[in-house]
Amino acid sequence: MVLPLLIVVLLACAALAAWALWFVVQDRAVILKQLIGAAVVEALVVVQAVVAGVLMVTRDHPVDGPLFWGYVATALVVLPIAAIWAFAERTKWSSVVLAVAALTVGFLDWRLWQIWGAA
Amino acid sequence: MSAPAPGVTPDGARRTGTGFGRLLVTVYGILAFAAIGRSSYELATKFSEAPVAYSLSTLSAVVYVLATVALAKGGPRWRVVAWVTVGFEAVGVLAVGAASVASPDVFGETTVWSGFGQGYGYVPLVLPFVGLWWLWRTRPRPEHHAAAPTSTAPEPNPADPEAR
Repeated sequence: MVLPLLIVVLLACAALAAWALWFVVQDRAVILKQLIGAAVVEALVVVQAVVAGVLMVTRDHPVDGPLFWGYVATALVVLPIAAIWAFAERTKWSSVVLAVAALTVGFLDWRLWQIWGAA
Repeated sequence: MSAPAPGVTPDGARRTGTGFGRLLVTVYGILAFAAIGRSSYELATKFSEAPVAYSLSTLSAVVYVLATVALAKGGPRWRVVAWVTVGFEAVGVLAVGAASVASPDVFGETTVWSGFGQGYGYVPLVLPFVGLWWLWRTRPRPEHHAAAPTSTAPEPNPADPEAR
């Protein structure tokens, strides 16, 4: 993993969470633009995972593989579930879910960084 | 009476998987996923190091998955499953949490419930009680589909979500 990418992902998660929380305050449901934002965050996490995978192979970076990829998998399922909920639940609760999902992805990404450095 | 309010099933119960329940199901789902990941990792790589702790992790993972599904489905039978699994979690996190604080070595290794769910931001401690409150709040209540209020009807509940 590389630090600049971690910072970008964390900022993106924070921005998405703040946007969703703003909608909670306004009692609004998730809108399509927010889902596009969530897709961008998701893509950033994928890019980060690919970079990490390449670094593992090329630089032989030692890391607890199953733990690391388990966290990657968890980070990748959270936002799609929030997106499905956004279609099913047209109340402010979809915004609450999106905010929680964005914060969860940020937290999982932070854990990924710790796992990456721990081995 | 007009059509039932949205989110109310014919037996007068409110759905457990909509509105606030959607958040509950999401958080349960994340925790279930984390618990499955954790326990399969532990079972695959180091089960023999601490069989008790890792068996507990697996048990909690199964319970979280069941609770997630039950809360999302929310039919009469699933509601029973939800009561049992969420109640089990409440007891489990308190019992395992207390045991792990009283005697840190008792399980050999940490589990999801050790230190009252400390490793997961105390979410495992708070979640079952929120879940029990939500199940109670969405419980079937006949007055929701009664044709008209009668003299035997229970007094209005100020917390009635339909009265807002």
